[in-house]
Amino acid sequence: MQGSFKRLVEVGRVVLVTKGADAGKIATIVDIVDHNRAIIDGPTTSVARQVIAYKNVVLTDIVVKNLPRTIGSKALAKVLEKDQIAETWQKTAWAQKLEARKRRAAMSDFDRFKLMRLKKQQRFIVDRQVALLRKERA
Amino acid sequence: MAQTARKNQLAPGISRLSRSKVFSKRAAYKIAKTAQPKAEEAPAKAKKVTRAKKGDLVAALTAKHSALHPANVVPQPKAGRKTQRTQGLRKSITPGTVLILLAGRFRGKRVVFLKQLSSGLLLVTGPFKINGVPLRRVNQAYVIATSTKVDLSGVSVDAKFDDAYFKREEEAKLKGTEEEFFGKSATKKEAPAHKVADQKEADKAVVAAVAKVPFLASYLASTFSLTKGQAPHSLKF
Amino acid sequence: MRIFAPNEVVAKSRYWYFLSKLHKAKRANGEIVSINEIFEEKPLVVKNYGIWLRYDSRSGTHNMYKEFRETSRAAAVESCYQDMAARHRARFSSVQIIRVATVKASEVRRPYISQLVSRSLKFPLPHRVQRPASKADRSLLIAQRPSTFY
Repeated sequence: MQGSFKRLVEVGRVVLVTKGADAGKIATIVDIVDHNRAIIDGPTTSVARQVIAYKNVVLTDIVVKNLPRTIGSKALAKVLEKDQIAETWQKTAWAQKLEARKRRAAMSDFDRFKLMRLKKQQRFIVDRQVALLRKERA
Repeated sequence: MAQTARKNQLAPGISRLSRSKVFSKRAAYKIAKTAQPKAEEAPAKAKKVTRAKKGDLVAALTAKHSALHPANVVPQPKAGRKTQRTQGLRKSITPGTVLILLAGRFRGKRVVFLKQLSSGLLLVTGPFKINGVPLRRVNQAYVIATSTKVDLSGVSVDAKFDDAYFKREEEAKLKGTEEEFFGKSATKKEAPAHKVADQKEADKAVVAAVAKVPFLASYLASTFSLTKGQAPHSLKF
Repeated sequence: MRIFAPNEVVAKSRYWYFLSKLHKAKRANGEIVSINEIFEEKPLVVKNYGIWLRYDSRSGTHNMYKEFRETSRAAAVESCYQDMAARHRARFSSVQIIRVATVKASEVRRPYISQLVSRSLKFPLPHRVQRPASKADRSLLIAQRPSTFY
């Protein structure tokens, strides 16, 4: 570890692409060019092997352990499969938030209305129980 | 400044004064109208206009033309070749589509689309029982089509709902009377009984279809509005 | 002859320039038969390039050796021209590339490249401002200073 920095640029680091055609997909660093760019590859998430600037990605907490430098796409796909990187990513709060945001944007007007109504119902039940508990306490 | 002659032209064929101006300048309104022997003239004119056919080419070539040109060249307006057609229906609107009205007194209301009328306007209904919007014509430009559809398969819209049906009834004019001035007619007009019946009849099937889908009735009853952070162009309807 | 140029027109011009230095030949008495762009064989493998060059400064001519870490020879030369322009205010016309070669990791001479060739290279990205992907999503005014912790 280097000081208080939690996320390091290293071979095997999983990154989230934030710009360009692959925005929103995850990929893995397979080689480091210099202190501005790295080569990333995402054979399981249809991200083509490419040189990308750190400016256009965000490092995640996930690291593929003991990944050799300049591993091929096919071998990398196998490793990612074995280490269940996609699943690990899906489980993170970050990925779920992105997913929720996407789902919310895809909602129709009627869906938004239904959500509002169901939330109201939920609120009604919860508030009622809280009020009852409060009464008991008092 | 000298008076410009009445016959002056701006450009060949375009007189400086309009017909009505000339009419008033000539004080033609003082001259009593006399019936003109139109009936005689008409066939003669028609003959001139007809184009010479191959057979009477000789006749056409040897025909004596008047040596005089017509004194008054009236510019003929060009006949337009465009025809007026009714506006096509947006792809996203099909019978049963829930629409959001954007203008008029029912703006913000969510209504059900029934059919497009021959004028291009959309026939919609609230249904009246659910949100108070009657059978009504709306312009599709002032409407947001949502992706929600009420299942109206097997429901037929009465053919009597056409543009003529929605035409405003002529009111007896009270012009110049005391009544008109003081607005005694402010009393609320009753909806005609046959229209009330028509509304009920037409809505019956729609209300039944709406009732089958949970939340749909209250959805139609609610009005649409934007809240903080919502941009209509990026929303999916 | 291998020429580094931004386009065919410049490439032809540079060809005649270098040819006239090597032989007694000029454009009027010759014709270019063919010109081909050389593409990198493995454009997705990082290599260390050594570039030998000569350039005319304001006071004289100098020879130089520089190293670059790139994925293609052309990219290395491109960044070399950028570097010469930045550090020495030397324009394209005053820089002549003598030789470009890949350098083995063990033979890298410059410290700024040798720090990158380590097998287990790791480094943090200190001080980053995370921004929305599209400029349209950026807010014009924000109440807090951006967090630079990464």
